[in-house]
This record gives sequence, structure tokens and C-alpha cells, in this order.
Amino acid sequence: MAKRVMVVDDSRIQEVQIRSMLEGTDYEVACYCRSGEDALAVYDEVKPDLVTMDIIMPGMDGLETAQAILEEYPEAKIIMVSSLAYEDTFDEAKTIGAKGFIDKPFDQEKLLAAMDEALSS
Amino acid sequence: MTYAFGEEVKRVDKAIPEEELREGLDRIIREVTDASAGILLTRGEAEPSDHICTVHIGFRRGVQSSLSLRADAALFVRLAQSMLNAEHITAEDLEDVAKEYFNVLCGHIAAALYKATHVSVRFSVPSFHWGRYSPENHKEQFVIRYTSGRNEAVELVHHVPVSQKGDNGAA
Repeated sequence: MAKRVMVVDDSRIQEVQIRSMLEGTDYEVACYCRSGEDALAVYDEVKPDLVTMDIIMPGMDGLETAQAILEEYPEAKIIMVSSLAYEDTFDEAKTIGAKGFIDKPFDQEKLLAAMDEALSS
Repeated sequence: MTYAFGEEVKRVDKAIPEEELREGLDRIIREVTDASAGILLTRGEAEPSDHICTVHIGFRRGVQSSLSLRADAALFVRLAQSMLNAEHITAEDLEDVAKEYFNVLCGHIAAALYKATHVSVRFSVPSFHWGRYSPENHKEQFVIRYTSGRNEAVELVHHVPVSQKGDNGAA
């Protein structure tokens, strides 16, 4: 059974790219949310195995959203997906409890490796 | 001036020498454009045509300045075709791809600024404009021009705020 992924990104381009990269793999996009607020609203209903989370978004940013999800669902597996790839952001994501960080732009190999690692942690 | 979290806010043009900033932006735009869509940019002097689009962001934390990217719409169409792996591109596709591409580009710029200044930078969600756009109360500090392999022109513009005290923003 495929692992169910929630994609949270204000850009539908990321959703299209991630969905395409996951075709034929052990993962599938179960839900796409264009904002942190939407993700919080449907997380309990979707109960994804994994979340990919953008950082720069209108309203709640990805770090705030990840923190809110993890406070409510400490078992959630969240991977930050952003081009803000530097120590300060890594530290913030790690402190919140994110399981990984993917630097944009990325390819299928990098995405799958991060997902496998997050689920095995 | 201080940010709400007590972090000092710097002007990029005062925190980093202009030449160093230009070199950093130049390297990043080439790398990200190649990695995102396999499009190679080389330095050029041609200005974009009348059929241009602009994407813009303002830095929101750490530094005060903003960046615009103006380019021939044809370049954004090619970016969209590559990033979406699709031949037919709608106006909505073009806008979404332009914003995502610039979002990625600016993330890499923020990372480079952090390495240079140790200031953690955030920026606004990119805005998209058909035609030429310049932010209010800012002046252009410099423009770097590029040409693609298909002669599409690109301008990366660094804007700095104009002081309310009447100076022209110079150091």
C-alpha cells in the first residue's frame, strides 16, 4: 500500500512536480493544501504518512504550520521543502521537530531519499 | 531601526559591497535557472522587449531591499514548459511558474546573504506583474542583464529604499 503524502505549498507547481516524481513509487499525493491554515484544517481527516512543507507562504509560514501540527500530532513526519537552505533555517526546522529538509530545486532521487529517511527515523 | 524580534535590520547595499553582491546574484541566477529548467543565461546588454513580465519580492527580515526579475514573456513560457513538462502553457501556468522560480532564486540569495552577513533573511511571497513593474519608494541600485540561448532578455534589478529624509539612498 502506497504511503500517503500531504503536500503543503502555495505554489501548485510544486504539487504538480511532486505528484509527477511520485508516480510509480511507493508514495502517492493524498492531499494538496495551498496554505498552512488549510493543512491544519484537514490534517486530522487526511492523516497522512508524511507531509512536505514549503516555508514561504502567505498567512502562516511553513515553520509555524509544522510547529502547530507537531504540537497537536507529535508523531507527524514533516519534511521542509524550501530554498532557504542555511544553518539558521535548518536549526529552526530541527528544533520544531521536522524530520528533514529538501533544498529547492530538487529531483526525484533527492525527494525519495528524504522521504525514506523521514519515515525510517 | 530594529526588527520586531530585536534583530538589527541592515541595508544590503550597506552591509555588502556592491561588486560582491553583483557577483553573488550573478552566480545564483545562472545556477538556479540552469537547475530549474536547463536554461543557460549569459551576460548581455539587451533590454527585454515590450512583451515582458516582472516578478518581485521584498526582503522582510534581516535586510531592507527588494529584487525584481523582468524578462521576455517567452522565457517564462519556456521555464513553464520545462518545469511542468507540458507544451501548452496557460497564463495561470506562466504566472505560477514565474513566482515559484523567483521564490527558489530568492531563497538561494537569502542563503548567500546569511553566509555573508550572518543575518537570517526572510522575504515576501513573490508578486507577478504583466509588463514592467517597479516598487514604490525604492530606487534601482543596479541592473544585471542577461540573454538566453534564444535571445530572450532578462534583467535582475536590485532596489533599495529611498530615505524619507530626502536623500537618494546613497551611503
